[in-house]
Amino acid sequence: MKRSIFSKAVFAGTIVFLFLPLAVLVFYSFNESKSGSWGGFSLRWYLKLFTDSPDLWRAFGNSAIIALGSAAVATAIGTLGAIGVNWYRFRLRSYLRTVTFLPMILPEIIIGVSLLVFFSGLGIRLGLFTVFVAHVSFNLPFVFLLVLARLEEFDFSIIEAARDLGATEAQTLARVILPMIMPGIVSGFLTAVTLSLEDFVITFFVTGPGATTLPLYVYSAIRFGISPVINALSVVMILGTVALTWSMRNFLKYIAAK
Amino acid sequence: MVSKSARAALALVVLGVLVLASACGGSGQKLYLYNWTYYIPDDVIEDFERSHGVDVIVDSYSSNEEMYNKLVAGGSGYDIVVPSGDYVSIMIAEGLLKELDLSRVPNLANVDPSAIARIGFDPDNRYSVPFMMGAAGVSVNSSKAEGYAHSWSIFGDERLRGRMTMLDDMREVLGAALKFLGYSVNDVDPAHLEQARQVVESWKPNLVKFDAEAFAKSFASGEFWVVQGYAENVFLEYDEERRGEIDFFFPQEGMPMYLDSFCILSGAQNVDTAYQFIDYMLSPEIAARVSDYLMLPSPNVPARELMTVTPNYSFDDLAAGEFKEDLGLEGLKLYNKVWRQIRVGN
Amino acid sequence: MKQGPGGLYAAPSILWLSVFFVAPLLIIVAYSFLTQGQRGGVEWKPTLDAYKAIANPTFLTVTVNTIVVALGATLVTILIALPCGYHMARSKRQNLLLLLVIIPFWTNFLIRIYAWIAILGNEGFLNDLLRFLGLTDEPLRFLYNRWAVGLVLVYTYLPYAILPLFSTIDKFDFSLLEAARDLGATKLKAITRVLLPNIRGGVFTAFLFTFIPIFGAYAVPLLVGGTESYMLGNLIADELTKSRNWPLAAAISLVITLVTTVGVMLLLRAGGTATLGSGGAGTKEPEEGAALPAQSVASAEGEPA
Repeated sequence: MKRSIFSKAVFAGTIVFLFLPLAVLVFYSFNESKSGSWGGFSLRWYLKLFTDSPDLWRAFGNSAIIALGSAAVATAIGTLGAIGVNWYRFRLRSYLRTVTFLPMILPEIIIGVSLLVFFSGLGIRLGLFTVFVAHVSFNLPFVFLLVLARLEEFDFSIIEAARDLGATEAQTLARVILPMIMPGIVSGFLTAVTLSLEDFVITFFVTGPGATTLPLYVYSAIRFGISPVINALSVVMILGTVALTWSMRNFLKYIAAK
Repeated sequence: MVSKSARAALALVVLGVLVLASACGGSGQKLYLYNWTYYIPDDVIEDFERSHGVDVIVDSYSSNEEMYNKLVAGGSGYDIVVPSGDYVSIMIAEGLLKELDLSRVPNLANVDPSAIARIGFDPDNRYSVPFMMGAAGVSVNSSKAEGYAHSWSIFGDERLRGRMTMLDDMREVLGAALKFLGYSVNDVDPAHLEQARQVVESWKPNLVKFDAEAFAKSFASGEFWVVQGYAENVFLEYDEERRGEIDFFFPQEGMPMYLDSFCILSGAQNVDTAYQFIDYMLSPEIAARVSDYLMLPSPNVPARELMTVTPNYSFDDLAAGEFKEDLGLEGLKLYNKVWRQIRVGN
Repeated sequence: MKQGPGGLYAAPSILWLSVFFVAPLLIIVAYSFLTQGQRGGVEWKPTLDAYKAIANPTFLTVTVNTIVVALGATLVTILIALPCGYHMARSKRQNLLLLLVIIPFWTNFLIRIYAWIAILGNEGFLNDLLRFLGLTDEPLRFLYNRWAVGLVLVYTYLPYAILPLFSTIDKFDFSLLEAARDLGATKLKAITRVLLPNIRGGVFTAFLFTFIPIFGAYAVPLLVGGTESYMLGNLIADELTKSRNWPLAAAISLVITLVTTVGVMLLLRAGGTATLGSGGAGTKEPEEGAALPAQSVASAEGEPA
C-alpha cells in the first residue's frame, strides 16, 4: 500500500529529527574541548560528573525527592477525584472539572508568581516543602485527566455488581476499582514524575534556601561554560531511563494483565 | 492479587510522605547565601565552613531582577544577598536590608577608597559592603574582525553585520547608546533617550539578536564575532589555548558599570554568621582567590598583591565606567517604553 | 451518573486545588486591578491602568506575532504527526516505536535547545555538512529568525501531537477504509471522508496539546529567535521582572487565559462529542507501553523555561 510507504518515510524522518539533538549531546559529552569544535575523545566530563560535581548531585537528589513525593501524593488525590467525577453527581463537580483544566492554559510564570505571593502571604518558609506543594498542584490535574480517560472505558455496572455481592465502599475501591484502572494510575504517576522533573518556571518562584532542583541547576550552569558536564549527565540519564523502562516493561505488563 | 495493587497505591503515598519528611530536618549552625551563579568558588565556601564550623547553603540567581522579584514577593529565608548598586538602593527603600554594624566588618578597610568614593547608592555603606566591581564590555574575535575602533561605534560597522549581539538588557544597551552620545547612563531626559533609541535602531540591523543567555557560547563557537557582555562569561566558554584571540575592551566613550555588594537581609536569622562570612570574604587571601577564579580585578587593595592570575582587564580600565543607579518609577517606565519600541518595533 | 459518595472521593482534589491553585490565582486576578508599586509589587489602590495599558499597539503586535507563529507551528506539527501516528498504529512493534518517540524527551528541555543551536549555527553541524558536500561556500544563516523559532517549536511539541493521534488512530477500525475503497472511493477520498472524521477527537487533542503551550512559549524565542522574535511569553516575563509591572503582567495573563478558554470552548462545541479526556493519550488499551504516551504528552505541557 503506497500510503504506508509514505507514512513510514515520514515516521523515519521524524525519528531522525527527534534524535539529532541527542547525537549532538553524545558528541559533546565525549569532546575534550568545551567550545564547539572537536578537540579529541575524552572522558573528562564524565569523570568530573561523577567525582567533582557535588552541587549537581544535590540538585539531582532534591529533584528526585520532589518528583517522587509530589507524584505519589498527586496520584493518590487525583485518582480519587477522577473516580468521584466519573461516576457520581455531586455539588462542585463542574467546578472540579473546570479547575483541573486551568493549569493547562495558564502561563506557568503566573502560576509561579501566584503561588509565591500566596506562600509569603501565609508566612510559609520557602523550601522543599513549598516546591512539593506547587508540584502536587500542577501534577494533580494531569493525573486526574489520565485516570479519568481510563475510567471512561468502564461501566458503573461493575461497581453495582460488587455492591450486590456485599462489598463495602472501601472494599469496592480497593478490590475492584483500583486494580481495574491501575494502568491509568501508573501512567498518571509517571506523567507526574516527568512533569515534576522538567519543571523550571514554577519551581523557580517557589523554591527557597537549599531547595535547588536539577532544572534550576541546569539553567544557571548552562550559561557559565560548564555545559559539557551537563551533556554527560544527560547521556547518563537517557541511558538510565531507557534501562528503567526496559526493566519496568514486565512490571507494566503484569499490571495490565490484572 | 487484587489487594496487591491497592497496597501498591498505599505504598506510593507512604513513600511520598517519607521522602518528604526525610528532606526536612538537620541541625547545626547554618548560613543561607543567595548569590550570583558561580560568583564564589566552591572551595572558598568549603574553607569557610571548615574554619567556622558552619553549614553554608548557597542558592544562585543570574540577574538582579530574578533575585529582587523573588524577595519582594516575599521570598525569604536567606541571610546574605549580593545585589548590584542600583538594586541596593531599591532594596533599601523597600526595607529589605538590615542596617549594618561596620565595626563587625573590619576588613572593609581593605576595599579601595577610590571605589567607595564613587558609590552613590549607599554612600556610607550603611547597608552594603562592596565585594566585586566590573562592567560589561565588548568582546571581539580578533581572528575574524579587524580594523575596528574600541568604541561603541563598532555596532554600526556594516562589515560585521549579522555577526554581532548586544545584551538583552535595556540598561546595558541604552546605557551604551547614552554613553556613545556623551550622556550619563542614568539619564532620564526623554529627548536624550529618544536620541539613544535612534542610535540603537541604527545598530539594530547589524545585530543578530539581543542576547543575554547564549551569546558567550556562540561567541566561543565562532558564530558571533562581536558581543557585548561580561568578560567572565566569554572567557569561561573558551578553551584556554584559544583565549589569545579574544579582544575584550571597554569602549572609549565609557560604559555602565556595576558594583556588587554584600547585604544582610532584614529578615536574616543568622546575623552573627553573616557578619563573619562577609568579613571573611573581604580578607585579602580570600578576595584574591575569588578574583583569580573570575579573572577579574579586585577592589580589595591588599588582595591585588596576592593574585596569581592576570585579570581580563585592570581596575584602572574601569575608570571610564559609570555606576548604574536606580531610575525611579517614572524613569523606569520611560526606559521600558523606549526599550519596547526597539524590541517590538512600535 | 449516580448519586453516591462522589463528593467524598473528590473532596481531597477540590480542597487541594482550591487552596493551592484557585486561591493564589484569585490574588493575581486582584493584582490586575491594582496600582503598580513604586519598586515592584503592587499598591492597594484599585485602578484599570493595567487593562488600559493592554490596549496599545505594542501588545497587539506581539499578540499577532504570537498567533502567527503558534498557528503555523501547530499546523506543521499536526501535519507531520498524522502520518507518524498512522504508521505507529499500523505497526506490530508499537511499544518500540513509542519508546523512540519519547526517549528524546527525557533530556532537559534547555539542553535540547542548546543542541539545536549547535546544529543550526553558522559554524554548526548542518553548515559543516553543506560545505563538505560542496553545496555552499559561505555559511547559511538558519538561526535567529522566525523560522528557527518555528522549527524548534515543532521539534519540542511533536510528541504531544503524535501520541494522542496515535492512540485514536489505533482504535480506528481499518476495515471501514477497505469498505470505502470497495465502494469505489479513491485512496485520498477514503482517508479524508472516512479516516479523518473518525479521528477528529485525536486531532483536536493534538491541536490543544501543541497550540496552548506554544502560545505561551518563552525560552525558544529567547534562545533561537532574532531581534524581532518576541512572543507573549517573553512580554509577560519582562513586564513581571524587568519592568516590575505586576498588574500589567497579571492582566495580560488573564486576557490570554480568557481568550484561550473561549477558543477551546468553541472548538469543543465544533468538535462535537470530543472532550479533552477522551481521544487523549491515556485512552490507549494497556500494554507494556501504556504509561508512556501519557507521560510524554504531559511532560511537554509546561514548557520549562
